Amino acid sequence: ERYKIDFLVYIKALLCSVAADIISTVEFNSTGELLATGDKGGRVVVFQREQESKNQPHRRGEYNVYSTFQSHEPEFDYLKSLEIEEKINKIRWLPQQNAAYFLLSTNDKTVKLWKISERDKRPEGYNLKDEDGRIRDPTTITALQVPVLRPMDLMVEATPRRVFSNAHTYHINSISVNSDYETFMSTDDLRINLWNLEITNRSFNIVDIKPVNMEELTEVITAAEFHPHQCNTFVYSSSKGSIRLCDMRASALCDNHSKFFEEPEDPSNRSFFSEIISSISDVKFSHSGRYLMTRDYLTVKVWDLNMESKPLETYQVHDYLRSKLCSLYENDCIFDKFECVWNGSDSVIMTGSYNNFFRMFDRNTKRDVTLEASRENSKPRAILKPRKVCVGGKRRKDEISVDSLDFSKKILHTAWHPSENIIAVAATNNLYIFQDKVN
Amino acid sequence: MEYKVEAHRIMSISLGKIYNSRVQRGGIKLHKNLLVSLVLRSARQVYLSDYYSGACLNAQSEREGNEWDITDSEREKFPPSATECDRVESTEETQPNEQPEKEREYRENDDEVKSDQVDCTSTLQEQNQNSSLDSVAKVSSETPPESITEPKESPSDSAVAERDSTPEANGESHQPPKTHVCSNRKRSAEESESGDSPQKRTKVASSNAKEDEEAEEMDTSNVSNLITIFGSSFSGLLSKESAKPEAEAEDSGQICCDQMLKNLNPWSTAIVAF
Repeated sequence: ERYKIDFLVYIKALLCSVAADIISTVEFNSTGELLATGDKGGRVVVFQREQESKNQPHRRGEYNVYSTFQSHEPEFDYLKSLEIEEKINKIRWLPQQNAAYFLLSTNDKTVKLWKISERDKRPEGYNLKDEDGRIRDPTTITALQVPVLRPMDLMVEATPRRVFSNAHTYHINSISVNSDYETFMSTDDLRINLWNLEITNRSFNIVDIKPVNMEELTEVITAAEFHPHQCNTFVYSSSKGSIRLCDMRASALCDNHSKFFEEPEDPSNRSFFSEIISSISDVKFSHSGRYLMTRDYLTVKVWDLNMESKPLETYQVHDYLRSKLCSLYENDCIFDKFECVWNGSDSVIMTGSYNNFFRMFDRNTKRDVTLEASRENSKPRAILKPRKVCVGGKRRKDEISVDSLDFSKKILHTAWHPSENIIAVAATNNLYIFQDKVN
Repeated sequence: MEYKVEAHRIMSISLGKIYNSRVQRGGIKLHKNLLVSLVLRSARQVYLSDYYSGACLNAQSEREGNEWDITDSEREKFPPSATECDRVESTEETQPNEQPEKEREYRENDDEVKSDQVDCTSTLQEQNQNSSLDSVAKVSSETPPESITEPKESPSDSAVAERDSTPEANGESHQPPKTHVCSNRKRSAEESESGDSPQKRTKVASSNAKEDEEAEEMDTSNVSNLITIFGSSFSGLLSKESAKPEAEAEDSGQICCDQMLKNLNPWSTAIVAF
C-alpha cells in the first residue's frame, strides 16, 4: 500500500501559493479533494485537486484555486468597546452529502456555515426582464416564452447558510463537527457549547470551567475535539497540560470528566516557564479513535485512550529551544500555538517548528525527519532535502545552528490528506503542498 | 545574585506584556495573560525569596524573625531530616512556641510563606543539579552557573552579602550548617508547596480581593488584582532596596516597569486603573 512506503525522504512540491495575508488555518475535506485555508484577513481560499486526465497525466494531483470568499469581517462590540478580529481561527469541513460542499469557519466570536456550490448553467429567456436584468416594460411584451437553462462558464459561489453567534464571551479556539453530522461544538477559553447545525439561535453549554471568582482562575481550555466515531465522546485540553475525555451521556453538563490524561511534571525541568511550555496547543484524535495526540511547546505526545497516567510516546520537536525559553518569552514566541496532524493510517505524525521547518515522526520505525518549506528549496518537482539543526560543537556544512534560526518564520498550521501522502504546510503567507514522489 | 537580576528582568518583561495586551487588537487574550501572570508570580517569588533567604539569618529584625517562625511551624509538619537543622534553629529561634507562630503565619501576608517555599524549591534544585549547567540555567534562565552551583563555597551570594551587611554573631563556622538548614527547610517545604499551590494561589488572590467586573464580561480583572498584590508586596521590598545595588542594575525596555521599583505610588495607581 502506498502510504507504507518510506515517503519521508521523497517529497516534491505541488503547489506554492502566496496568500494576501498570514494563513491561520489549513484543512483538507474528508475526501482530500478540497483544501481550505483561512487567513488573518477573514478570507477563505479553497483549492481543488485536478482530476486525473489522460491528456495531461503529469498534472494529476495538483491543486488549483477553486473558490475565494470573505468569511468574516472585523466587528466592533460596542458594549465592551472591543474590536473583534476577523482572523479565521479554524475551518472544519462537513461530510459531503450532495453536490455542494459545506464548511464551518470561525473567528474569535462567530461560527459560520458556508455552502460552496458550482453553477454551470443559467436560466435564459425571462419574460419580465431582459438579458442584462433590466425590467422590461410589460406593455412591450408581445409573446411569452419558457425560460430554459443554458450552459455557462463554471462559476463557484460561496453563500453563508448559517451564522452561529452570541454564544461565546471568550475567544473561540476550536470547532469540531460531530460524527452524527447533526451537531458541532465550539470552544472558547472557559466554555464549550454544543450546536445543532440547523439551529442558530440556541446552543447548549456542555463544559464550563469558569470559576465563580475569576481570581481563582488557574487554567483555560486550549482545544477540543469530538471522537471520530463515538458521537457522545469528546476531549478537551488545558493550559496546564492535561486532557479530559468526556461522555455526553453521563450528564448534560460535562464538568466531570470520564478520563483525565496528565503526565507528572519532571521536576528537573522546572523553570519560570514550565507552565507555559506545558500548555497544550492542539489535540487530535487518531483516525482510528484509539489514540490522542497533543502538542505542547517542545513536544508532541501520543496517548492511548486506555492509559491516563502517561503518554504512549513522546517526540521532541525542537528540544534545543529548552535553554532559550527566556528569549522566546521576551519575543513572544513561547506563546506560539503549533498544531499537529496524523497521516491517514495513523502511522506518521507531523508538526511545525521555526525557520519554516516542519517535522515528521514515523511511529513504527521511530525515524524522524526535518523538512523546510521555502521557495528556494521547493521548485516544482524538486525533492526536499532533510534538514538538521546543529545544537552545539562543530557545525557541519548543511546544518544550521540554533542561533541562526529565524523565529519569525514559523509553521503553525499543517494538514495531511486523509488517505494519500499529500501534505499542506502554511508558512506565514505561503501555502505549500507536497506529495510523495511515488504518487 | 544573577538569578535575582534575571527574575527582576522577567518581572519587568511580564508586566510590559500585560500592559501591552490592553491595546492589542481583538481584546485581551485570557490564555496569554494567565500564562504571563504565572511567570510573573514565579519570578516574583524568586526575586523576593532571595531577599528573605538572606534576611532570615538576621534575628534582630522582627520580620526576619517571623520567617524563622514560619519555617519552624512548617518544619513541624514534616519530620526533620538533619540534626544541623535543629541545632541552628535552636540558636536562632526567638519564639519556640509553635501555636502563636502558626497564627502569625496565617495572619501574615501569604506571599511571604509562598515565596519562602518557592525559594526553597529553586535553591534545592540549584544544589541538586550542580553537575548540570543546563538545569541550573533553567531555574534562573541563563544565569551563569558558576555563581550558584558549588555548595562548598558560600551557600549563596545573597547570604554572604547579607551577613556582611548585617553584623551578627554568626561566624564563618555557621556557613555550612546554614546550607544544610536551608536545604532541609526547602526539601520539606517543597512537598507542601507543590501540593498546596492551588490553594495558596487562591489565598493570595482572595486576600486582596477586589470587586470583579460584570460576570459575563471578559473577566481579566484577576490579572490586575495580581498586579495590585505584587504592588503591595513590593512596598516592603522598596524600603530595603537601598542596600542592594542590584536593584539599579537591570534596565528593561519598559519605562513603566522600571518606575515600579523606583517609585511605587504612581504605579499602583495605574494598576488599579487597569
